[in-house]
Amino acid sequence: MGLPSVSSPFASFASARHNVWRGDELGVADMPVMGTGHAALDAELPGGGWPVGAMTELLQDRPEAHVWQLLLPALAQAVDARGGPVVLIGAPHEPFGPSLAAAGLPTECLMWIRSEASAARLWACQQALRCADVAAVLAWLPQARVGELRRLQLAAAQHEGLLFVMRPASVAQSASPARLRLQVVSAEAGRMDVHLLKRRGPPLTQALSLPARSGRMSALLAASQWRRQRSRPQDIGEIAATQDAAKGATVVRLDLRLRREEGRHAVDRLAVAA
Amino acid sequence: MQWIALRWQPESEDKAGAEAEPAKAAPVLPMSLEALGWWALQFTPRVAWLDEALVLEVSACERLWGGQQPLMRLMTAWNPVPHSRIQKVQGATSLVALARMRLFALGQQPPADIPAGLPLHTLTAARDHLDVLARMGCRTWGDVAALPRGGLSRRFGAALREALDMAWGLRPERHAWLTLPDVFEQKLELPALAENAHELMWSANRLLAALQVWLRARQRGVLALELEWTLDLRRYNGVDLPPHQSIAVRTAEPTQDMAHLRRLMSERLALTKLAAPASWLRLRSVDTTPWAGASTSFLPEDNRKGDKLHELVERLSARLGPREVLVPAAQADHRAEGMQGWRPALRKVGAPMKPVTSAKSAKATVTATQRPDALFPPWLLREPLPLEVRDGHPWYQGRLQRLTGPQKLEAGWWGDNGGDEGGHPAVRDYYVAESPEAGLVWVFRERPSGCFVSDEARWFLQGLYA
Repeated sequence: MGLPSVSSPFASFASARHNVWRGDELGVADMPVMGTGHAALDAELPGGGWPVGAMTELLQDRPEAHVWQLLLPALAQAVDARGGPVVLIGAPHEPFGPSLAAAGLPTECLMWIRSEASAARLWACQQALRCADVAAVLAWLPQARVGELRRLQLAAAQHEGLLFVMRPASVAQSASPARLRLQVVSAEAGRMDVHLLKRRGPPLTQALSLPARSGRMSALLAASQWRRQRSRPQDIGEIAATQDAAKGATVVRLDLRLRREEGRHAVDRLAVAA
Repeated sequence: MQWIALRWQPESEDKAGAEAEPAKAAPVLPMSLEALGWWALQFTPRVAWLDEALVLEVSACERLWGGQQPLMRLMTAWNPVPHSRIQKVQGATSLVALARMRLFALGQQPPADIPAGLPLHTLTAARDHLDVLARMGCRTWGDVAALPRGGLSRRFGAALREALDMAWGLRPERHAWLTLPDVFEQKLELPALAENAHELMWSANRLLAALQVWLRARQRGVLALELEWTLDLRRYNGVDLPPHQSIAVRTAEPTQDMAHLRRLMSERLALTKLAAPASWLRLRSVDTTPWAGASTSFLPEDNRKGDKLHELVERLSARLGPREVLVPAAQADHRAEGMQGWRPALRKVGAPMKPVTSAKSAKATVTATQRPDALFPPWLLREPLPLEVRDGHPWYQGRLQRLTGPQKLEAGWWGDNGGDEGGHPAVRDYYVAESPEAGLVWVFRERPSGCFVSDEARWFLQGLYA
């Protein structure tokens, strides 16, 4: 029910339309973004990636959890593009270079700043943001206040790198100047739920489910689980049901096993018998 | 011969004040006179201080700078002293230039007949005899020059006659020409006794400004500096004190930019405690290298604004301590804790981090993901955490469930007990386990071996996947 008299002036301002963001659609990034490497996450982020030159907040209970799995593809890409170091400020543990190098982040591109004091961490973070060569800054700032974060956000806007701030999940309800806020929660079966708390776009009601393990690790775990299942007697029933062939041989092995581990798998024996 | 006399005047000083006290010494400038002389050496090699003015002989170099007016405009544009203006007056000899400058400062028009028409009080050599000469009826340089030479020399000394000869160009001028020293070293008396190290910074800034002028004149970049202050007390609280205290400031790449050095110096000073109040400050260049300059690029990706990496590392190391700013170094070892060492970033900074080209790195990534390294955890516990064992199962925030493994490792048998290799050989079975609270963890069991026997299996946590 648009008014015709109003629509014509709007048409003349068509060129200005890209500056208008409607609240119900995903915002268009007015600054460069860096792809996250997770397609499901890219689809929900404004512009399709982590904002470059703005602060991104990651909220979770355990400071070390999921950080690398979530950020490594983008970090590897940023290092590739800019060639500078990734600065870790106040990391909860020692980052393990060989593992990160295998994921595409070269070992020599790490810089670890160990600092306990909150003020020193903030200062180091600001200094790192002012450096032209730094590709990304990862800061663990559990005690940072909103004013300090705003200063970081301003510093990040001067800088063309990635800034990720890790904070506890308890601050999820408080205000934050970050452009993008994510809450990461561990989920069952090696997945993590990513809640987008704040983004330029409509609120996302349902959490995104991303793999919490690298592809190689998932494959290894699946393989070893399958092997364990095959060798473990209690699952024989399923295998026997699915595999019609070689049924007899399996049963023989099962009997041997059962005899050895007498009494421990009484329930399993019932299942097999049934 | 063509001379230019220069004098610096603070902008805030109003003209009335200058007129009231024309013979006053040059006002306090935020830069030493020596440094101003060094600055002027970029225009001509013949620079000298003559009383309150800096005189430059420019007849030989005028053409290089495109004439006298462009040269004077350049001097204004390159003024090294902020919030001040340069008075520039030219003359045929240094004395004439100086006399015209003095007239200018008084707001008087120079006479038409130069040098004969210049008033006598503008000649330094005549200042002691002004009254006598005035009573003799001599008011201008020409009046005195007309007196008989012999009598003038006997009555007023040879200096006056010599000065007049120089002013007329009859006698060569003698000056103590300024030269650039090989090593920068300047002393400065503090305006007041400094009680703490921060108060030294204001005066150190003046010395740094002078250093910058020296570096530019010598076309060198500084690598190391020493700031030394003289303690005002010999004994304090019953303790004998050394006469001096000093700090050294180093940077990885030669620089002429004082902002970085100033920041480093103030960080160092903030960590320094003065043993006693300080009275003098001295700055010395310890290490300098020829300044290569920098070639500018028109490509936008080369012109990122911000500090350089080595500046960041040095600043962080200066405040947090070099042991807190670390970079990894890969090592050839099979034990996880030996695979990488961390060393201060400050030492490494000389070699810039080389970004690998994208094609190469993509290939490297593909091969890297095939390596067993890809299964290592991203977080490492350097000191393996001994785990509690309950009911025969290792326990870390809940009962650990082994998912894969064992990956057997036997290494470190070559290390001696006292050496760096550290203690006993590592004989370990690594497992990836799952903890109900902490997610995937990397644990190992110490396997009883021939040379290291323990009665029960001990479990350790060494990595976190999470």
